[in-house]
Amino acid sequence: MGKDLILKTLRHETVNEVPWVPFSGVHAGFLKGYTAREVLTDGDKLFESLMEVHKLYTPDGMPVIFDLQIEAEILGCELLWAEDNPPSVMSHPYAGELTVPCKCKIPKITDGRIPMVVDVMKRVKAAVGEDTALYGLICGPVTLASHIRGSEFFMDIVMYPEFVKELVGFCVEVCNAMSSYYIEAGMDVIALVDPLISQISPKSIEALFMEPFQVAFDFIRSKGALSSFFVCGDATVQMDVMCRTNPDGISIDENVNIYEAKKITDHYNITIGGNIPLTTTLLFGNQQDNMKYIVDMLDNIDHHNLIVSPGCDMPYNVPIDNTVATVQAIKQTETVRKMIENYEAVDEDIPVELPDYENLEKPLIEIFTLDSATCAACTYMVKGILLAEEEFGDQVEIKEYKYTNKVDIARTKKMGVQHLPSAYINGELKWSSMIPSKQELIEVVGQYL
Amino acid sequence: MLKIADLGQFVIDGDEQGIIDHVNLLIEAKTDPIAIINEGLLSGMNVVGEKFKNGDMFVPEVLMAARAMNAGMAIVKPLIADQDMPSLGTIVIGTVKGDLHDIGKNLVVMMLESAGFKVVDLGIDAKVEQFVAAVKEHKADIVGMSAMLTTTMTYMQEVIKACQDEGLSVKYLVGGAPLSPAYSEKLGAIYAADASGAVDTAKALTA
Repeated sequence: MGKDLILKTLRHETVNEVPWVPFSGVHAGFLKGYTAREVLTDGDKLFESLMEVHKLYTPDGMPVIFDLQIEAEILGCELLWAEDNPPSVMSHPYAGELTVPCKCKIPKITDGRIPMVVDVMKRVKAAVGEDTALYGLICGPVTLASHIRGSEFFMDIVMYPEFVKELVGFCVEVCNAMSSYYIEAGMDVIALVDPLISQISPKSIEALFMEPFQVAFDFIRSKGALSSFFVCGDATVQMDVMCRTNPDGISIDENVNIYEAKKITDHYNITIGGNIPLTTTLLFGNQQDNMKYIVDMLDNIDHHNLIVSPGCDMPYNVPIDNTVATVQAIKQTETVRKMIENYEAVDEDIPVELPDYENLEKPLIEIFTLDSATCAACTYMVKGILLAEEEFGDQVEIKEYKYTNKVDIARTKKMGVQHLPSAYINGELKWSSMIPSKQELIEVVGQYL
Repeated sequence: MLKIADLGQFVIDGDEQGIIDHVNLLIEAKTDPIAIINEGLLSGMNVVGEKFKNGDMFVPEVLMAARAMNAGMAIVKPLIADQDMPSLGTIVIGTVKGDLHDIGKNLVVMMLESAGFKVVDLGIDAKVEQFVAAVKEHKADIVGMSAMLTTTMTYMQEVIKACQDEGLSVKYLVGGAPLSPAYSEKLGAIYAADASGAVDTAKALTA
């Protein structure tokens, strides 16, 4: 079970496959046609989107919400909302004053968007929590301190270290409160997401932040959950001090060389997660790029204490088929290795005759998949299209071509198929990665009869 | 006896009071104000840029250094006629529309100013018309754009197109977490990975 895989990996036990955690934050909404703002504010839409993530991306673990502004909003920061990104902090309530907020400001479970988040966590737990490890993501104490204080916080680190200790101490109490709410709602792993750590010297981290982080991670463990420390940016030189904060896992983005970083995390027996490049590979690459990246990574890294995940929160509109290819490469590495070899070996000489689409006896639906036997999204695509057979019987013809053999790869290339899975009717692309509803399918196929 | 070159270390240490005291002493001693800038303050900041690039200094320390340098500049600048102020060129810079992230952009601004560029900072959430107007008004050599989000970075293309449509002869320097050299090239811009790199690239573009 995927959940066991994550829990065992974060407990540093030996497992027989590499676990996978897609950081589908606002991207979850993209799968269902909801905006970033909708999934970050509307519990029903968030839940529906997360179920789609679970269905298409077959994760071993998954975050419920990825928004580092939830705590800041409650503490008085104004947010600028976007339709395709998490919100940004616009104002900093403690800018211009060296004041640590009163403990009475620590978010209560009834504050801000916490009730919505906790409710969705409970629903997701009930729906898929048996087989999937659920991640509760919390804004890390250093980033939270900068949210409420503004960029002056950076100079505070040098000028007013005692104030910074106090402020971050307050933020750790916020983290602990949030951890409690999320663990009670069923989260298996709590991640402190602290992108700003990569901008601070290891010396300052050690002097000011190491102990507060240790307190936060100890608190998570004392509540029976596992902990992770997420960082963004080039945190190469911070890896050692991050390990010494004692999380169960660390997650990095593509700015850090994972092979070198893993030597450090292995030294401390900490699990490392990462670091599929968000833009060059996931967003702008194609399926081949994503598959190659994963196969290369898995070939060159020790699988013990390893979780494969995107470098950080996935961009909103990552092509679905790219993530599907990524899952396939992680879970069916040998098959995908063969696919890549076949793809590279296949040239235009393999004789593939395309049907005479203009003169078919009956509508021909062709489904191009990675492999419907092992790829969840492909399975759903095939199942979805086969509903046309139920509806129209032998009035339509349906064929599947798999990316697991050279002849089908040659056909896929000759057809100019860009995304897998895709479905064509009479040679015309109808559905690319998005699986049609039964009603839509019947309507579209009906037009060809 | 205090030498101009000693100012550099005060900048590197982010010692604002040290800079104020020693710049005032140098001025009392009739030291050339332009030499104070070039041989003292800016040379110190160049070292900061190198240390930042090499991972020997981080954002807090760089901000402290810039603050110290600016304190020195504030004393010296009024003593120099505008036309005598050293300048490598003019750069209009901003974090593009829809994006509020300005820590990186602010570092770039400080480093560019320290290197001797005149910088027109449009701040955050900067729109096409602001860039175009500022380039015209200040006769800029370079447009600098920053984005932290994959969605806002696409706005850079609109800025470039608008400048081209207006027939403005400028070069484009871009940076930010989601950008890459390949993507920047597609835009018709040059990518800088960090603040120090931005200075090197700006120098090359105006050479």
